[in-house]
Amino acid sequence: MRRFHLLAAALGLALTASVAVSGVGPATAQAPKPGGTLNVMLREDLPQGFAVHETSTYSTSFPSLPCFNNLVFFDQAKPTESLDTIVGDLAEKWSWQDNYKNLVFFLRKDVKWHDGKPFTSKDVKFTFDVLREAPDAPAKLRINPRKDWYANVEAVEAPDAHTVVFRLKRPQPSLLMMLASGYTPIYAAHVPPAQYRTTCVGTGPFKLKEWRKGEFVEYVKNPDYFVKGRPYLDGLRYVVIVERGTRTAALQAGQLDTAMPGETSKGTMEQLKKAVPRMVFHEVAQSVTDNIIMNTKKPPFDNPKVRLAVSYAVDRRGLIQASHQGGAVLGAAMLPKPYGVWGMPEKDLLALPGYGKSDEMKPRAKKLLAEAGITPEKPLRVEMATRAIAIYVDMASFVINELKQVGVEATLKQVETAQWHPMATRGEYQIGANLTGLGTEDPDANFYENYACGSPRNYSQYCSEDVMKLFERQSQELDVKKRVEQVVAIQKRLEQDAARPILAQRLDYFAHWPHVKGLVPHHNVYNFTRFQDVWRDK
Amino acid sequence: MKTYIAERLGIGLVTLLGMSVVIFVLLRLAPGNIVDILFSTGGYVNPSERLAIERELGLDKPLWAQYLDWLRQMAVGNLGKSYRYDLPAWEIIKPLIPVTLELAVLSLVIAVLLGVPMGVISAVRQDTRLDYALRVFSLAGLSMPSFWLGMVIILGLVAWFGWIPPVTYVRPGENLGLHLVQFLLPALAVGYRSSALIMRFTRSSLLEVLREDYVRTAWAKGQTGRVVIWHHALKNAILPVVTVIGIEFAFLIGGLVVTEQVFNLPGLARFLVQAILWRDYPIVQNLVMITAVVVILSNLIVDMLYGVLDPRVRYGN
Repeated sequence: MRRFHLLAAALGLALTASVAVSGVGPATAQAPKPGGTLNVMLREDLPQGFAVHETSTYSTSFPSLPCFNNLVFFDQAKPTESLDTIVGDLAEKWSWQDNYKNLVFFLRKDVKWHDGKPFTSKDVKFTFDVLREAPDAPAKLRINPRKDWYANVEAVEAPDAHTVVFRLKRPQPSLLMMLASGYTPIYAAHVPPAQYRTTCVGTGPFKLKEWRKGEFVEYVKNPDYFVKGRPYLDGLRYVVIVERGTRTAALQAGQLDTAMPGETSKGTMEQLKKAVPRMVFHEVAQSVTDNIIMNTKKPPFDNPKVRLAVSYAVDRRGLIQASHQGGAVLGAAMLPKPYGVWGMPEKDLLALPGYGKSDEMKPRAKKLLAEAGITPEKPLRVEMATRAIAIYVDMASFVINELKQVGVEATLKQVETAQWHPMATRGEYQIGANLTGLGTEDPDANFYENYACGSPRNYSQYCSEDVMKLFERQSQELDVKKRVEQVVAIQKRLEQDAARPILAQRLDYFAHWPHVKGLVPHHNVYNFTRFQDVWRDK
Repeated sequence: MKTYIAERLGIGLVTLLGMSVVIFVLLRLAPGNIVDILFSTGGYVNPSERLAIERELGLDKPLWAQYLDWLRQMAVGNLGKSYRYDLPAWEIIKPLIPVTLELAVLSLVIAVLLGVPMGVISAVRQDTRLDYALRVFSLAGLSMPSFWLGMVIILGLVAWFGWIPPVTYVRPGENLGLHLVQFLLPALAVGYRSSALIMRFTRSSLLEVLREDYVRTAWAKGQTGRVVIWHHALKNAILPVVTVIGIEFAFLIGGLVVTEQVFNLPGLARFLVQAILWRDYPIVQNLVMITAVVVILSNLIVDMLYGVLDPRVRYGN
């Protein structure tokens, strides 16, 4: 483990700072002041209450984070997440054994649930048996979107009250990344999972006081929290504001202390900066990509040349300027540096289909289409599906215009949210404009979820036995340097196969007032804002 | 009178029954259901899990059985359980009602206080500069959607004063002053539009009445302008205006969606849209029925007011 961490540290040396765009940064030499309540922006009411394991939206995980703890968590003071920034949470320490096939956690002994019951290894076993749907699991989740994360876990054992052993089918060092995600809180074994849809019994720094539906979620400090002296704040209040303009106005007027991650576009930042020069902004990656899904099981996109032509046709830089006002960066499946650890170097990126200069890429797209029998006399007519949400429609409109320039006539089909995932999962579309968020910036989480044969979230239904072998190989690789090389090669292959062409990696300009201290935004919207170390200088 | 009210309530019940069928069918015609939405938050679909949830929520039953279940529940005062929140629907709906009612009533009060006097002045000063100014003012009100005006108010306030009304709902018991501040601006935004309508109806109705013989007679008898206008003319011109006020009230109950959203007020209308997006059938169906009850009752009240305002109006046989 040590060798692995040292290499990861070496790779991540220059990657540990988010960019403070204006105002003061989060780091401060001041002594933290206890007390006060933080008012936090929330864009919609919690879709599934606090049942984090039953959703894949950070509208649930973001306001639930302060209630829970994980076994391990990403260091909240470091914006770039990697194996090297994982720290103990409910686990004091951990140890890989049997050549990375057994992962042993030694749990803290001073932890209590918010209802006063003691936390033990039974709770950890309960959580992961439910998540991986073990044959003898004591409960079942209504929906289980991240079951695949634990496909390699053979058994979870609790030999005593404060030890947990994860037995794996094969070595998988990055299992820790999944365990550290904001999507992996530990549930209480004595609380039915369904109960988390209406209330929250966690071990976290804040206890749920009230959830007023459609209005706010209010937390109070947990006086029995196991980290002594934390949290600094007396409470948190997440204010639900559905209207985007009102959310920004509330932040500007000081009724909110901090934005919601992923909610501050570059345009909004510029507007806020002009109105409130002392507002603090952090340029961070969202770990959300704009991408194109193409149904590889149906003509015309079962033809790799047509898929590749689409990838060549779209001017990624143009999209970043037009749709994001510059608030996004070029990238492939994994976040590029300095935001992530696994991204492709710039020179490799520029060699990918569609990543070069637009006037060089479009002729290549036309040539490929001609090879596939698509000519100006015999143009390709397709339906471009996308979710009926502005950020999706903007992207789809841009792509349609790009495709038109190479002779592909695409018409826009807006699909309501209720229909989007059923439609995509069943492959009832030709081509679509899509957004994909990663719960944790790890190749295993990304590749197995979005590109693996048979995965329900592999909307393109791309399936390659060779690539699956590459996924398995990188997943077991213990040498980080070698794994990075393998992951880069896989990303290159995925783009060359136009499995799900990535158009842009979205950036966020996370905003908060200068009196909010100790808050370090991460390059992933899902894994920070537990607010344990945050305080108000007011 | 009692017979008339009983008849109207009977008709109201039939209307509600019709409404229940319409809303039930329309909701099921919309593509997707709550299970699709739940899977959307998970980003995938699993057919067997899907069936299990449909069974859990009773969505696997035939539509007629689901409809009868709903009617049976309503008959005993049980509004069912919200699919989204996993809580009794009434527990969700109950706190929303006073917010929307208060906003609608306040908006209407502002609309009447602005619209009736402006309509009277405009009619009395017909074709003067004042009349033209008031007509432009009212036309502007009709042309500007209240949600747009609301957004302009919010953006203007934050740009000029760095202040907006509270975005978290303040209950009257918590702080009455702040509560009124919170409601005043949305009520003004909505009331302005309604006042424009009321003003135009008052003006045209009053202009007609002012040409009647009895008004001329009143002038001839040497009565003061105030008595002629406010006592003789307006009393007879007000009936169509009352009708418009009734219609506006009914419209406001369901039509405050975007205003509630812009001012972040947790009312019926805003919640209804969220519930529709979530296909939360029990919430949507019951919210629509509650709105229908309010509309039916407000219409009945307006009809009863006719009798009070005009003694010539008689009810029943």
